[in-house]
Amino acid sequence: MTVVPLPSWADPASTAPVFDIEHVLASIDTMAAQRPVAAQIVSVANSDDTSARALSRILASDVALASRVMKLANSAYFGMRGRVTSLQFAVTVVGFTTVRTMATVALTNLDDESRLPENFWDVTTSLALAASTLAPKFGERPQDSLCLGLLAQMGAALLHHNDPDGYEEILAEQPTFRGRRAAEMRRYGINSLRLTAVALEQWGFPASLTTPLKEIDDYRAMDGALLRAAFEVAARLTTEDYEEVPISRITCGKLVEDDLVPVMDQVRADADELRRAMLGESNEPDGSDDWVV
Amino acid sequence: MSVTISVPDDDLVPPEIVSTVFYSATVSDSLAILVAESVGGEQRLTWCNEGAVKLLGYGLDDVRSLALDHLFPSLGGGELKLLLRRERAARMTVPIRTASGAGIEAVVLTTPSPGGRMWTLRILATANEQEKALRATADAHERRFSALTERSPVPTLLSEQGMRLAHVNDAFCTLVGLRAEQLLGTGWINTIHEDDLDGVIEQVAAALDGDEVETQARLVRDDGSVRTTVIRFSHLFTPGVGAGFVGTIEDITDRLAYEAKLAHQANHDPLTGLPNRTLLAQYVAGRFRPGAGGLACLFLDLDNFKVVNDSLGHTAGDELLVEVATRLRATVRPGDLVARFGGDEFVVVCENVDEDAVVALAGRVSEALARPMRLGGVDIRPYASVGVTVQTAEHVAADELIRDCDIAMYQAKAGGKGRITVLDQQARAEARDKLRLIAELRDAIERRDITLTYQPIFNSVDGHPVAVESLARWTHPERGPISPATFVPLAEESGLIAGLGLLVLDETCRQLAEWDHLLGAASPPRANVNVSALQLDDNLPGQVAAALERHQLDASRISVEITESALMKDPTSARDVLQQLRDLGIELAIDDFGTGYSSLAYLRHLPVDCLKVDRSFVAEMAQGHPEIASAVIALAATLNLCTVAEGVETLEQAEELTRLGATYLQGFCLAEPMTGGHAAAWFAAHGEESR
Repeated sequence: MTVVPLPSWADPASTAPVFDIEHVLASIDTMAAQRPVAAQIVSVANSDDTSARALSRILASDVALASRVMKLANSAYFGMRGRVTSLQFAVTVVGFTTVRTMATVALTNLDDESRLPENFWDVTTSLALAASTLAPKFGERPQDSLCLGLLAQMGAALLHHNDPDGYEEILAEQPTFRGRRAAEMRRYGINSLRLTAVALEQWGFPASLTTPLKEIDDYRAMDGALLRAAFEVAARLTTEDYEEVPISRITCGKLVEDDLVPVMDQVRADADELRRAMLGESNEPDGSDDWVV
Repeated sequence: MSVTISVPDDDLVPPEIVSTVFYSATVSDSLAILVAESVGGEQRLTWCNEGAVKLLGYGLDDVRSLALDHLFPSLGGGELKLLLRRERAARMTVPIRTASGAGIEAVVLTTPSPGGRMWTLRILATANEQEKALRATADAHERRFSALTERSPVPTLLSEQGMRLAHVNDAFCTLVGLRAEQLLGTGWINTIHEDDLDGVIEQVAAALDGDEVETQARLVRDDGSVRTTVIRFSHLFTPGVGAGFVGTIEDITDRLAYEAKLAHQANHDPLTGLPNRTLLAQYVAGRFRPGAGGLACLFLDLDNFKVVNDSLGHTAGDELLVEVATRLRATVRPGDLVARFGGDEFVVVCENVDEDAVVALAGRVSEALARPMRLGGVDIRPYASVGVTVQTAEHVAADELIRDCDIAMYQAKAGGKGRITVLDQQARAEARDKLRLIAELRDAIERRDITLTYQPIFNSVDGHPVAVESLARWTHPERGPISPATFVPLAEESGLIAGLGLLVLDETCRQLAEWDHLLGAASPPRANVNVSALQLDDNLPGQVAAALERHQLDASRISVEITESALMKDPTSARDVLQQLRDLGIELAIDDFGTGYSSLAYLRHLPVDCLKVDRSFVAEMAQGHPEIASAVIALAATLNLCTVAEGVETLEQAEELTRLGATYLQGFCLAEPMTGGHAAAWFAAHGEESR
């Protein structure tokens, strides 16, 4: 029998998880049971024969989620200026993938900030808007990229939820997203983006959404380039004293620094409203708009 | 049972058995199926079917000794656990390493056995040829579509969700002067004019809902200039994604500008640039609310404009009109409309004013106009007559307002030039009454409701009737008989005199022919027909000749009576016309002689046969003043003209006139005017008598 050499990185002794990933994955199932409407939306929204009417009918039974979809449809991001008055039309405006993404956010309790790592939504909205704004340059649909950005950090939230102390430690020690992923790999045997991909695959999200999550650290592959660029933008906007990585290096030369200037402006402009719509917060007159400078 | 499968006695286990064991999954050789087992903390493969052998290239024996992480090189560390879950099935898209070392992309579905130590793995290769071909076709379609729109000269938008754009073409970028990156997403919204944005969003909402719609919207270019466009939206649905739209834009700025220019030309006077009559009518109609009040009009007519035109030339006349327009615009209140009504007439329309205010405005206007201006080297003061009307409850239509101030202007003019007149109720009522009467007169002439009566004229010497005078009569169905002194001037003012004159001429000739037929020799020898000053033109001789011809009468049967004043309006041309009539053989008489101011020297040169002594001079005789009648008769005799004395009311007058030398007599005491039928009977009886 021929013994085929194992891949060099596979060293069970050094990467042995200190933490049972099985437990985290099981928790996703529990969550789904707690939010049946959201779970149903996640399961139907992806099929080709889904209609806005069918989706809005299901959505109507989850008032909180429905109101968030309405709010998002009327947000500056979609430019409809309050013209969206019916839930069905709101579903049409934001698109099925976005509705599904919002359901997923609700399903995984990403809307409960008390159970999330600090700064989670600041990063997530920046990530989502940056991905959406940059998408055309990478030949991607901006809407899908927005969803990718919104969901990317779900794995991180799950890890934090299941191992708060351990994850806080990682956050404190690793200022960069890349560094965190390496640390996650060491501690949990899987990085947070990979964990997101697993969960999304389990719920039937398409490969176009999960592949970038898996390919994030392969700098030679274009598959993860858009998400890498989006993380870079998010880091520059949300991390203090951030040491910038040249954008051309992480995007296979697709972007140059000048490309980022309008993107950063756009992200700053829209981030707050997107965050409010996603979390179902009301518009507060306290000037929270200037959370980024 | 698991032992049987994990350590099989035979190389082949029938697929049916596997199927039974693993939750009734349908299995066939076309599927690639493997079985994995957890032994001592390590997962190893223990079995595979033919499909797996074909797909992966490993022999069955090789598979049994294969570590699972060798098959899935991308699943490092703890990630293998993600695939081999103890409690539930899992699904993952991962690369699989085949026996040749090459990787294939595949979806792996794993199902744990109840014990949690064994799993079946089903492998579905994703990148099969058919899928690749499909994807390539779809890509080609998309490339073709984007190439088409990108190079299209029609500015095109492609929405991705809501108002967010996924694609704009070069033509749109050129139209708004921005780069595609600045327009994608919601960036293009900034190019829509703020006031039009709501409308655009509304139409986008309709398009997203499935409609085909269009809207007019202004786009603000990068340089701040504005283009007016029509945007057409079509619904676009992507299965599984949602709704978007395709928008195409037509730039109609130039077309609108051209249309606006045409509209301006159609509604404005090219000389002064003021709104013309058409726009004035629209403007007043647009603001007129019956019974509301508050609207007022000034009608201005320049006094003696014709004099300026005739003496200084049309260029000076135009210059004057432009100056008047400028002064008017400078004098009226902001918001008032100044229009050129035509010729030297201007109209000012004011809103929310009472009579005092508008009269004050008229005063200011008159004053402003009367300031001296230099025109062709001459200082002139352009005075105007101004008619003023303020809207009252009696105005039921917008055009009545303008008509009333027109009437007021004529009143102003009649009262002497340079005046301002406000139209009062009585004047309005009179003017309206007159308008109605004119319309009714027109109908009466068309229907030949104007009838003729005939008054005999006698030879003063032998008392024989020698002629009749045709007299037009109008009996109004409601007002009863209307005097010729009323309706003849009305016909002259309103351009109906030609029709009336022809009617009288033709009917007289017809009647003469009828009398000839009935009475033979007893028929009246001649009929006198009155002709208005306005009929006295080159057409008249032809019309008379035609009427005679039509009824087969000799020219001597007709005498034409013309008033003295008609002859004096344009004596030279009057003489030409009279001469032509005379040449036809028609007798001519001057009516009402002595009431005008004709030059006696001139009278000598006119080709007339007869003078009619006006009834006023005949009437004076009864008061002991026969001087004028006497003088007229004597004058006529001196000039070798015969005379007809009109209005003879008593036999004494008849005798006196005969004594004075009047040739013919006409009057009530001799014979009253009669209808054609009565006249026939009268002449028949008279013929008997005289025989």
